[in-house]
Amino acid sequence: MFVTDIRKEFYDVVVNQRVALFVSPDIDALCACKVLQALFHCDQVQYTLVPVAGWQDLGTAFMEHKEQYQYFVLINCGANVDLLETLQPEEDSVFFICDTHRPVDVVNVYNDTQIKLLIKQDDDLGVPSYDDIFRDDEEDEEGDGDDSGNESDGSAEPSGKRRRYDEDALERRIERQRARREWEARRREILFDYEQYEFHGTSAALVMFELAWVMSKDTKDMLWWSVIGVTDQWVHDKIPHMKYVTDIATLQRHVSRHNHRNEDEENSLSIDCMRITFEYDLRLVLYQHWSLYESICNSCYTSCSFKLWSINGQKKLQEFLADMGLPLKQVRQKFNSMDMSIKENLREVIEESANKFSMKDIRVQTFAVNFGFKNRFLASDVVHAAAALLENVEKDEMPTDNFIKALDCLSRSNLERLHLGIDLAKKKLKAIQQTVASCICTNLILSQGPFLYCHLLEGTPDVKLFSKPLALTLLCKYLLKFSCVCVFCFIRSFFGRAFEKAAESTSSRTLHDHFDTSVIELKMEDRGKFLDALITLLS
Amino acid sequence: MSLLTLRRNFFNVHVITTTKIYRENCLRWYIGDLASYDFIPKKYRHLSATNKFTMFCEKAVELIRELHRMGDGQLPAFNEDGIRQVLEEMKALYEQNQTDVNEAKTEGKSELIPSIKFRHSCLLRNQRCIAAYLYDRLLRIRALRWEYGSVLPTTIRFHMCAEEMEWFNQYKKSLATYMRSIGGEEGLDITQDMKPPKSLYIEVRCLKDHGEFEIDDGTVILLKKNSQHFLPRWKCEQLIRQGVLEHVIS
Repeated sequence: MFVTDIRKEFYDVVVNQRVALFVSPDIDALCACKVLQALFHCDQVQYTLVPVAGWQDLGTAFMEHKEQYQYFVLINCGANVDLLETLQPEEDSVFFICDTHRPVDVVNVYNDTQIKLLIKQDDDLGVPSYDDIFRDDEEDEEGDGDDSGNESDGSAEPSGKRRRYDEDALERRIERQRARREWEARRREILFDYEQYEFHGTSAALVMFELAWVMSKDTKDMLWWSVIGVTDQWVHDKIPHMKYVTDIATLQRHVSRHNHRNEDEENSLSIDCMRITFEYDLRLVLYQHWSLYESICNSCYTSCSFKLWSINGQKKLQEFLADMGLPLKQVRQKFNSMDMSIKENLREVIEESANKFSMKDIRVQTFAVNFGFKNRFLASDVVHAAAALLENVEKDEMPTDNFIKALDCLSRSNLERLHLGIDLAKKKLKAIQQTVASCICTNLILSQGPFLYCHLLEGTPDVKLFSKPLALTLLCKYLLKFSCVCVFCFIRSFFGRAFEKAAESTSSRTLHDHFDTSVIELKMEDRGKFLDALITLLS
Repeated sequence: MSLLTLRRNFFNVHVITTTKIYRENCLRWYIGDLASYDFIPKKYRHLSATNKFTMFCEKAVELIRELHRMGDGQLPAFNEDGIRQVLEEMKALYEQNQTDVNEAKTEGKSELIPSIKFRHSCLLRNQRCIAAYLYDRLLRIRALRWEYGSVLPTTIRFHMCAEEMEWFNQYKKSLATYMRSIGGEEGLDITQDMKPPKSLYIEVRCLKDHGEFEIDDGTVILLKKNSQHFLPRWKCEQLIRQGVLEHVIS
């Protein structure tokens, strides 16, 4: 069931208990986790944090901890399947689910005792009403029982009466069965419509931050984490732009509230304190930690608009730089070493020129954090850094190690880790850019009817990088943008269900382990028949 | 090359000697001293390399050096062999002294007196070294109780001899009796919280799989690699010292 008062029904319940936290490996979940951890530290709630990479991990972790814990908090996992069916918990286990995956499974919505959903109900959820899906089966059984009862009773009676009874009973039974079949058909249709498309709801970090705010325990650190959570959803294209803008507006109110607190004092804040500022900044990825040129080449938006894989595109880029009056030497330098005169009006200059080159949205609303003299990070920088750390395939480490590293880099005291993450992110973006360019140049993208299909061969460099879901999603969005085809609004995707059905029908050996159901693992041999099934399904 | 020549060539020191043995030992001490320096000047290097002298009290000093080499808090294995050798040396010296004393008394050989005195001072030195060795070990073992708790890891237990074990048990008992006597009814565990704690609970991260861990109220926590927990400080201290958990400061 949905929780209406998150403070009373969630926090006050767990504050005197011990809690197990299961967190899925995405940045929004990490941020929500940090906010919740900070709250728990405040109130000294004992907890155990376990990173879970997929459904199997969740199952194992639950098995290990179910005897010791009664309350479980799941972050960004568990809302979109029937949790009680999957985990088979005891009667007294209670699950608090803060998940952005939609649609929420109907069993989770209508379970009153064990499942509590920490989800804002004003999100467009469209949950079907209870009566449409669930029905008291007792009515039917009673009715049938009556009939059979009547029959057995009727056997004692004279045959004339009995015949009339039989006919009536039979008619009623047929009627009831027909009504039942109709109801079931309608139910199937409703459920199909409901579960067809998958999308994401409000960021989990934002939900947790609002909980902290309601309890007046919110701090700037928590605010920053929720900013990162929302930005992560936007960077990985999980939410439409309008929703992102709305969420940013909400956060902006909080930011100004926090900043306003400090302006009243006579002495201004020490330079070491954290300051969050609202920025209408460029959409160039990591540009303040890289050179402007590199950033333009490796950002999805700009390199798609210029079509930088072609020679024409390169020429256009040179024109663009010339139009702004930026010498190449400056632009290829590290951003921090560029001339001050150039840096001063950079944003406005770029926006003007970008408009001429039909890039209308080169600027986007976001936030930046400042602490100390040389530490300044945009929210998207941190998102890319943390994502690169989370899916680091360079050293053969366990996924939980990477999880811990990414979690660490979100704290202010671990700046070296953040810088390491930024370096890894640069490598990752370059790899994506190169792969995309090679795919397009060698025509590896095939149109398979309703969708585009691209097969990355074993020998391509950096192919290991793309075995992780987040990097893979970035690559796919990139490719789609490159092909200038927008087949469906991929904010709501139906790939998840389609994959499941295709897998069933061809009995291919697939692994639907990731929480994000649009990512699956499939055995090479079954690839052909799986794709054929998918084509037939979607056309 | 006679010893006298050696002396003149390398050390311009007048050694006033009355007995051969005293002279010899002085020389050996000089050369042995060289060996104890980390950096030996080039011209003397060949000396110390071939130095196979066995001096008096050398073994005892070796014991001390061994303890000194191991940093504070670590307990090396009990050097039974070393102690035995020193005790043998002491026995030999004592017997030699006894015969000499008898000789001196009976035959009036007063020239034996300096060597008797010398051997006596060697005996005293040996005694002092062994006493220092044993005492320092006991101090370290006492510190282990405060660091590891009542149950020592097996590796450390192997490094202790039987008597030291017994001493440790006795010490544990006195400490426990004392702790029971203070702090009201249940006593007060003064080995916890050696520094004033900043908070009741700390966040720890598990560095290796440790299995199940029980805390005060009976609940059991599964310590798996890379899981993080928020636990009472006093329960975690031991595991942090053992390296199973790591304190996370954010």
